[in-house]
Amino acid sequence: MGREKREIGMLGERIALEFLQNKGYKIKCKNFRTPFGELDIVARHKSTLVFIEVKTRSTSSFGPPILSVTRIKQIHIIKNALFYLKRYGRIDADWRIDVVSVKLGHGLKPEIIEHIENAVEDIM
Amino acid sequence: MIARIYSSCVLGVNACEVTVEADIGGGLPAFNIVGLPDTAIRESRDRIKAAIKNSGFSFPAKKVTINLAPADIKKEGATFDLPIALSILLCEGTIEHPDLKEYIFSGELSLDGRLKPVKGILPIALGMAAMEKTKFVLPTQNAREASAVKEIEVYPVQTLKDVVNFINGKIDIKRQPSTSDQLLKTNSKYKNDFSDVKGQEHVKRGLEVAAAGGHNVLLIGPPGSGKSMLAKRLPTILSEMTLEESLETSKIHSVAGLMLSNKVLVATRPFRSPHHTISDAALVGGGTNPSPGEISLSHNGVLFLDELPEFKKNVLEVLRQPMEEGAVTIARVAGTHTYPAKFMLVAAMNPCPCGYFTDPKRQCHCSPIQIQNYLSRISGPLLDRIDIHLEVPRLKLEHLTDKRRGEPSVEIRKRVDKARGLQKMRYGNLGIHFNAHLESSDMEKHCMLDKESEELLKLAILELGISARAYDKLLKVSRTIADLDGKDIIEAHHISEAISYRSLDRNLWG
Repeated sequence: MGREKREIGMLGERIALEFLQNKGYKIKCKNFRTPFGELDIVARHKSTLVFIEVKTRSTSSFGPPILSVTRIKQIHIIKNALFYLKRYGRIDADWRIDVVSVKLGHGLKPEIIEHIENAVEDIM
Repeated sequence: MIARIYSSCVLGVNACEVTVEADIGGGLPAFNIVGLPDTAIRESRDRIKAAIKNSGFSFPAKKVTINLAPADIKKEGATFDLPIALSILLCEGTIEHPDLKEYIFSGELSLDGRLKPVKGILPIALGMAAMEKTKFVLPTQNAREASAVKEIEVYPVQTLKDVVNFINGKIDIKRQPSTSDQLLKTNSKYKNDFSDVKGQEHVKRGLEVAAAGGHNVLLIGPPGSGKSMLAKRLPTILSEMTLEESLETSKIHSVAGLMLSNKVLVATRPFRSPHHTISDAALVGGGTNPSPGEISLSHNGVLFLDELPEFKKNVLEVLRQPMEEGAVTIARVAGTHTYPAKFMLVAAMNPCPCGYFTDPKRQCHCSPIQIQNYLSRISGPLLDRIDIHLEVPRLKLEHLTDKRRGEPSVEIRKRVDKARGLQKMRYGNLGIHFNAHLESSDMEKHCMLDKESEELLKLAILELGISARAYDKLLKVSRTIADLDGKDIIEAHHISEAISYRSLDRNLWG
C-alpha cells in the first residue's frame, strides 16, 4: 500500500471518528488489531456495541465506497467483531456493524459522509 | 421475550393451525425463519422488513428468529407475512395486547404495508371451530369468502398499520356480516336452461334418469347434434346444492385459487369441461405442491369429457379409482393429500373418427378397422362405470325451426328431486345415496321385478347378448326409472326404457 493511500485512509478514519462522536457515539477503541485483521472503530451507541468499518475515497472512479465492502470483507469484519466480543466477555451483548463512507473532495476536504447503520447482516 | 401469533395453513382441503413464534435476542442483527418454510415464505423476510418500516414502525436491529410450529409440516405461500410481521411487533412491544389466543391472522404484505389477498381462506374459516378460534383478521378482498362461515367473526383490514391500531384498540374495524344463507339463495341461478334445447326428447329424458339416479352418462352422436349443449344443462336439473355441499365444493375451489375474483360461494353445481389434451395430473390433481384437479373441482357437480376417445389413454385410466371412491389421494414429496371427488361423469363422443357413422343423411368414410380402433380407445373398465349410453341423433329440420320452447329445467328438477327423495328413504343409513352406487349384493333386495318384467329381462339377455355386468347396470337404471315413476316394483316398461339406454351393449358398431 502506498503512503498516500494510507494517509487518505487515516484521514478518513479521523473524519469518521469526529462524525460519530458528534452523533453521540461513545468511542471505545480505535484500530483494534486481531489475528484476522483490524477493526477501524469500536463504539457504543445507547446499549449496543457498534463496530464501524470506515471506507474512504478521494475519487469516484471506482463507484461509491460502500460497494467495496464485499461479502468476503463482511465475513472478515464479523470475525474481527467476534474476536473482540470474546476477548472482553461481551458475547451476549447486542451488537451490530456499521459502515461510514467518507468521500474526499478537492484539497482532501470531506465532501460527503454517509453512515449506514446495520450494514452487515448475519451471513455465516 | 417470546411472542406468539396464530395463523393457519391448508393441507389438502383442510386447515391446520400454525403457531408463529418470534424471538428477539442479542447478537449480530439477522432475520431467520425456521419450521419448513418454502421459498415464498423465506422471501417474505424482505417484504416484512420493508412493510414494517414503511408502516411507520421500526424493524429491530437485533437477531430475530421466527419459528413456524408444528415444525414437521411444510408451509407454503405468502399467507404468513402478516402473522410474522405481527409477531415481531408484538415481541418488540409495538403491540401491547398479549392475549391474541382467539385470533387467526392471514395475509400477504406488499412493500408499502398494504395487505394482499391470499388463497385458501375458506378452508381456514371452516376449520377455525376445531382450533377454538373465533376471530379472523384477513385482507379485505378475502373477507366475503370468509363470511360464508357463520360461526366466526371476520375482520377485514387493509394495511399492517390498521391491524396494529386495531389490536391496540386505537381504531375499530367493522365486522364483515355473515351472509351464507343469503349467498346461496341469490347465487343459485344457472345461466342455461333445458328449454333452450329443441327436440332431442329422448336424450333429455335419459339425462333426467341420469340426474335422478346419479348415473354416469355417455353421449354418442354426430358433430353438431348438440351433445355439449345438452351436457352443459345437466347441472340445472340436479337437485339444488345444500349449504354443506356448497361449502365443500367452495373449499376445493378456494384451495385451487379460483375464489379470488369476488366469488364467494360455489352455489351452483360446478360444470367442468377440460380440453382433451389435459394431463393426468391436471385431471386428478398433482404438482410438486399438490393442488386439486378437475375431478375435485367438479365435486358435487358434473365433469364433462368432450371427445372422450381423444383423451390420452393414461389420463382416462386414472379416473377409475377416484370414480369408485369419491375421493382421490395424491402423494408427493411435499405431502399426501386427499381431495374429495364425487362427481357425475358425462362423456361425449362421435360414433366413428369422421363422426357420421350413425347419421342417416351423410356417408361415413371410415373403415371398420378405423371404427374399431376409435372405440377401443375407451377401455372396458371405464365403460363399466358408465350406466347410461345415449344416442344423440342429428336434429331434424322441423325441430330446428320449431318456435316452441322445451320443458324448463325447474320442472324436470322437481321430478328428479322426488326420485332422489325416494332413494334417500330407501337407503337411509346404508351409506348409499343413489341407485348408481348400489352393490350387486343389495340389488336383489332393492330391485324387485314383477313377472312381466322378469320375462322381458330374460328375453333381453338371450336376444341382445347382454353380459352379466351389463345386467347389473340395466337393473340399476330400471330402478331409477321406476323411482321417477313413483313405483316400488320395477315394471316391464321400466326395463324396456333402460334397455334403450344401453346402446353400446347392443352391438351397433364394429
